Amino acid sequence: MNVQVTKSEDYTLVSVEGRVDTTNAGELEKTMVAVIDGGATKIILDCAGLNYISSSGLRVFLIVQKKMITLKGQFCLCNLQPGIKEIFDISGFSSIFSVFPDLEAAVTN
Amino acid sequence: MENKMLIVENQMSELTKVADFLDNLGEEWGITAALVFSLNLVLEEALTNIVLYGFDDGNQHTIEIDFDKDGDELTITLIDDGVQYDPTLKADPDLTLSAEERPIGGLGIFLIKKIMDKVEYQHKENKNFLILTKNINP
Repeated sequence: MNVQVTKSEDYTLVSVEGRVDTTNAGELEKTMVAVIDGGATKIILDCAGLNYISSSGLRVFLIVQKKMITLKGQFCLCNLQPGIKEIFDISGFSSIFSVFPDLEAAVTN
Repeated sequence: MENKMLIVENQMSELTKVADFLDNLGEEWGITAALVFSLNLVLEEALTNIVLYGFDDGNQHTIEIDFDKDGDELTITLIDDGVQYDPTLKADPDLTLSAEERPIGGLGIFLIKKIMDKVEYQHKENKNFLILTKNINP
């Protein structure tokens, strides 16, 4: 797994690549919590390079979503690969997250 | 009828071994990349449960994973000697809840049930048998 955080004026972009599984989901959680604690009000998680996720990764996504709702912030996901999208659909996550087809759509939202 | 077996230890780091094994199995048995992804997820969820909650003695244990292919039907059987636990009895999560209401966690077994065609559990000879079946050429 590779995670990159880029701050810009209107949002914080987090790009995640590779696999998010039980062995490394804690690492992603730490990064995301640090971004939230750093005061980000809009976080965009770019999943273009994310090719595997298990329930441990979904858990982190839900933690972030709950925190951002409490803080009245925005948490957007974009560029989900078909396999990831399918897991989102099965888990009912597609209806509780703001999912966008690409980065531009997530930025302008 | 073809079969393969993978033996792993009760450690999370074994998940990489499982991923590599599945990649090879996919090539050998002509399983699509999309399905290899799903099977990887299913095995991770099942193994994570066994490794995290199956043993309370702090000892090293082995978990046997059998793969049987009969025509288009793939059967994966996980066998462990941990505490008796029937995951098929776990209630499904309520998918109609909002993000605020959704509990953290509890998706692993549900994902297994949704991805596989059949999920069965048996307890015999003091071992847990989790038997997962899937048509690999639907």
